Amino acid sequence: MNDDLQKRIQEALANPQNMGELAGADAVGTVGNADCGEMLRLWVKFKEQDGRKIIDRATFQSFGCETAIAVASLATELIRGKTAREALALKTEELAGGLGPLPPMKIHCAQLVEGALRAALEPQKADPSPVPSGPTAPSLADSISQSGEPRKIVFLSPEEDTD
Amino acid sequence: MREVLEACPGAQRALFRRYHIGGCSSCGFRQEETLAEICARNGNLDLKEVLDHIKTSHEQDAKTLIDPEELAAWLKRDTSIRLVDIRSREEFEAVHIEGSMLLSQDVMRRILGDGSNTGPIVIIDHHGKQGLDAAAYFLGHGLQNVRCLRGGIDAWAQRLDTKMRRYKLD
Repeated sequence: MNDDLQKRIQEALANPQNMGELAGADAVGTVGNADCGEMLRLWVKFKEQDGRKIIDRATFQSFGCETAIAVASLATELIRGKTAREALALKTEELAGGLGPLPPMKIHCAQLVEGALRAALEPQKADPSPVPSGPTAPSLADSISQSGEPRKIVFLSPEEDTD
Repeated sequence: MREVLEACPGAQRALFRRYHIGGCSSCGFRQEETLAEICARNGNLDLKEVLDHIKTSHEQDAKTLIDPEELAAWLKRDTSIRLVDIRSREEFEAVHIEGSMLLSQDVMRRILGDGSNTGPIVIIDHHGKQGLDAAAYFLGHGLQNVRCLRGGIDAWAQRLDTKMRRYKLD
């Protein structure tokens, strides 16, 4: 990650906006999986204004990378005052607007925010994962998670402890 | 991808380190998918560039590994190194390197969210097999100074701390 981007992310993280659950939310969208370190949940509350139903407030919770938190912080500010349709029309790079162009490995983090927004505002069309259906190959997170039955620890005897 | 992973065992780590692909279920892939298909649905990545990157995966893994002796010397010079042990709690409680911390959801959240992308981290496992995956996972999240103890805590016990008991899992 270049230094400029890192600086902008740190600035967004220094004072993140709209973090936490939103009581009385009208819509909630979740993408990712907390077990593997990437999850983002977005709450949205609407209000009526001038005959339009607009987003009054949006908040988020994220368990994952700092880029997703920074993008969510900016995006929840950006969509305030917009209708659901206007918010859904925003592209990933627009949601991450203040951070500037993201490198390929960070676009995925911003897409988490877009996915959570879509899941909240358009749940019938939400596609939480771009991965084709069917079993996926074991992921790196699976490798770390140490799932399965606990195994018994056997200390090596002095004879065994010679290799 | 099955053939790619057989030919280059470090391919998945390489993919995640640079392109954030294969780290978890939301960015994973199916073994039946081709590399071209994965590139296409990840923002039309350049297939040749991705393939060239995968071909260097062995060298990337080698750069990530750190020998026990080198780690011991580094620990004496730098007290900011975080030793992150990815073994089970039972194994950690049986034996661990002094100052290390057991990886948990909370520890992972702190590591990924504390804003320090350059702080040194060394991953410790039992034999040095899963540690490279964990290191790639952190590197793919933007952390820049992540290493993995070559041979895991077993190598540490054999070469550095011979009083530490070695073990196997039944």
